[in-house]
Amino acid sequence: MASKIQVVLRPVKSIVVRFCPFESNVESTRNFLACINHKRIQATNKNCEVTADVRHDGSEPVVDVMFVDGDRLIMKGANLTTVEMLTALGTRCNAKEIKEEQKSKKKSL
Amino acid sequence: MAALSAAPWRRGCPPALQLVRRGSKAVTRHWKAMHFQRQKLMAVTEYVAPRPAVPPRCRPPDTGARVDQEDDGYVRLLQRQVQEAFRDNRMIAVCQYNAMAGDDVVLLRHYLRRHNIEVKFFLNEIVRPVLAQSKYRNLLPLFVARNLLLVSREAKAKEMLRVLKGVPQVNLLGACIDDTILSRQGVENFAKLPSLEVVQGQAVGALSLLPSQTSSLLQCSSAHLTALLDQHIRRLQEGEGGAPVQPSPEPTGAH
Repeated sequence: MASKIQVVLRPVKSIVVRFCPFESNVESTRNFLACINHKRIQATNKNCEVTADVRHDGSEPVVDVMFVDGDRLIMKGANLTTVEMLTALGTRCNAKEIKEEQKSKKKSL
Repeated sequence: MAALSAAPWRRGCPPALQLVRRGSKAVTRHWKAMHFQRQKLMAVTEYVAPRPAVPPRCRPPDTGARVDQEDDGYVRLLQRQVQEAFRDNRMIAVCQYNAMAGDDVVLLRHYLRRHNIEVKFFLNEIVRPVLAQSKYRNLLPLFVARNLLLVSREAKAKEMLRVLKGVPQVNLLGACIDDTILSRQGVENFAKLPSLEVVQGQAVGALSLLPSQTSSLLQCSSAHLTALLDQHIRRLQEGEGGAPVQPSPEPTGAH
């Protein structure tokens, strides 16, 4: 199910996934990381850096997404499912794509 | 007799059964409509399921409790392999495996095999029950998403980290080295430690430092006394002036 969600990473600059593997609430974050690293999603933007920050300090799992236009999306994965995180990222990416297309159309007109 | 022998259609009344000249048989290869009487019979005798006394939505929900399947032979074999991997190897590192191209996996396996590190894939459903009953219970939370096990008989953490640094899709989560569970930071610190021989040499040197100073420590007080007496005698002789200088007796060995 989670692998069927299409996310276009073009407006994304970098994604940092921070988690502590010895905690019990990291499953959805780890699945999110696995889905993000899928070749289909990675192929949409080769310049997007995906980093996994593995710690052991009992901190909450966090996904930090930096967009090209300076926006930042922070998702705390402790109580989110993988599908919710992917859809949240996907909708924001789509919205930014549409905005970009409209801007480029206005410029060309 | 003549009336009986005459053909029925010569009697003057239409026959009861109209036999169609090109009629198909009962069992045909094409679909054939049922006779009307048969249709009525089928409709009347249709199966009506008995309604349960208590409707299913009023009963407590069935959580889909699966009956414990008999231990599959294959599952038992894989669990035995997991137990052997944990028993025979000094270093077991657990990494998260994100999708990689097949060639990259082969290259990774090759580079690690050079340092005698084997790459093993095990399913979580097989590993979890094995770990839950062994002494590695604290590694259970690691086995959640897609995982990779790097096992080795020697604890070559530095080489393993060097290879993994070049592969961004594999993230080291933790390791169990010599029955000690380490986090990622712990593995990095372990890799920075000097080798066992160097550490042993340092320990031996530190321990033998004190005994080597014992003899000088013991002789130091008598040597100090001798030096003081020498100086005293010299001063007395200088004070007297011109008196024959006599060498002071040497101290006879340590006490």
